[in-house]
Amino acid sequence: MRIADPAGLAGIPGLVRCEEFNREALGERITEMTHTVYPHDQVYGQFCTIQAHIDCPPDEVFAYMASPYSLLEWSYSVRDLRPTDTPELLVGVDAADTPIYCRTASCREALTVDYHCAWDQGDELWMVYLNRIVPAQTVLKRPGSVVIWTNCRHPYYDRNPFPSLNRVPKRAWVGEWWPLFYAGHSIELANLKAILEHRHRAGLAMGPHLRDAP
Amino acid sequence: MRTVSLIGVASYLPENVVTNEFFAPGAADRRGMFTAPTTRRHVRRDESAAEMIERASRRLIANLGLDTLRDIDIIFTNVTVPDQPFTGCGAEVAHRIGARPRWVVDLHNSGCVSFIYMMELARVMMTATDARGALLCNVQNAAGRVFSNAEVRLKSQAPVPGDGCGVGYLAPSNVSPILSVAQQCHGEYAGDMSVSAEDGRRYWEPGPSPISVAFSDERVASIISRGNRIVPEVVRAACDAAGARTRDIKLLITNQPNPIFLRNWREALELSREAHHDTFDRYGNLFGAAIPINLEDALAHDKLQPGDLLALGGFSHAGDYTAAAVVRWRAGAGLAST
Repeated sequence: MRIADPAGLAGIPGLVRCEEFNREALGERITEMTHTVYPHDQVYGQFCTIQAHIDCPPDEVFAYMASPYSLLEWSYSVRDLRPTDTPELLVGVDAADTPIYCRTASCREALTVDYHCAWDQGDELWMVYLNRIVPAQTVLKRPGSVVIWTNCRHPYYDRNPFPSLNRVPKRAWVGEWWPLFYAGHSIELANLKAILEHRHRAGLAMGPHLRDAP
Repeated sequence: MRTVSLIGVASYLPENVVTNEFFAPGAADRRGMFTAPTTRRHVRRDESAAEMIERASRRLIANLGLDTLRDIDIIFTNVTVPDQPFTGCGAEVAHRIGARPRWVVDLHNSGCVSFIYMMELARVMMTATDARGALLCNVQNAAGRVFSNAEVRLKSQAPVPGDGCGVGYLAPSNVSPILSVAQQCHGEYAGDMSVSAEDGRRYWEPGPSPISVAFSDERVASIISRGNRIVPEVVRAACDAAGARTRDIKLLITNQPNPIFLRNWREALELSREAHHDTFDRYGNLFGAAIPINLEDALAHDKLQPGDLLALGGFSHAGDYTAAAVVRWRAGAGLAST
């Protein structure tokens, strides 16, 4: 048997553990913390996490998402991806005329696929979408995958760090849309789910299905 | 169909003011569902529900200039701990205030929303008959009768209840029309609250332990969650039925189990603190008497102007009944048909 060494926790304020908080005290605290409704900004103001069940096996979801070219299919507006001089870094256009740089960092064993992206430049990829794919059999006792997608509010969302790179003077900065990211991300996750479920159900190649453009 | 109005309300609060020293040490520091009010009232041992109703009713009768023989055809009562186990107190109330009603209903269900429930029943009766008016009477007396016991007062929930009586008068009229009433019975929640004694006896059996009121422990999270949800739902339903939007509510009056539910309900309905009037810190959980008492208190604080939309709402026990009503306050010029 192992127990926590109390000395290791000494001097750390704010811990809520049953040795100091009995069930009644815990009950008071969690009751106060539980509201009926929550303001949008309180839930999605600093972190935007969305999730969905996708009826498609985890390894197929992983393989599809790990290809940055899949963005051409499930994203709303990332298009025309091509390689850059930097290995694994692609550049395309977002919202028709903004350069977007993008690469994926994935781990097959952990089933994680992170999208590292940025507008206008590819040296500092600060828009990071963290995706974790979980076998639904493990957590929901059903086939398929659970995809959990988190976006953290990097300070650059609030202030364009490279305004001189913007070629379209009237362009709204990507961070202006943060209050709508829950909805925007949800739409794209629904795209991802629809594409994967359709191809899995129909027995098609999972893709992304690409062709060369002039 | 005759329009029925909520004409007025009045209240009576027992004189005995009880502070938190009366309860377990640390009662004043409790939070969450057992947040203690600063004060609450307790009924005296010999203070009957009928007497409390008489006191509140005499104020209402005087305020409205009612002729009790002519204007009160219907009496409804709801009493938390009845004066007698078999009989209701409505007949005694009628006698005390000098009324000779055609109908007396001692209503035992719908606890904390019984004022709204009685409003609806009285409204139905008055639209179907030529009845001239209904007196609705709510008494909460469990604080003094149950929670002041030497053992029970040491329980976590003992500081929360407070006693009081609220009465209301309804009549066919366009003065303050009841635009809608929504109510639901959730029978599946009926077993989640019970009156029990620690020695396991039934409440009618003699025994050493005092009786108390308890919620089933394993359902507490479920009760909190449903309480948070079902009251905004029923208020929305009443607003929909009235053709109103919740944001048009100028004053929301609910029962007041604890400050957490009050906060969550007004947040869910997107109402300001000012638009949701309560007396929890003074009077505690007034059970069914909360709605008429809080309404009278709100009127005394000028919370309603002529033409304002008033919403009443709440739930009873562990969620077995929910009800809400929408009233256009002082919409008309005078008593049209009383």
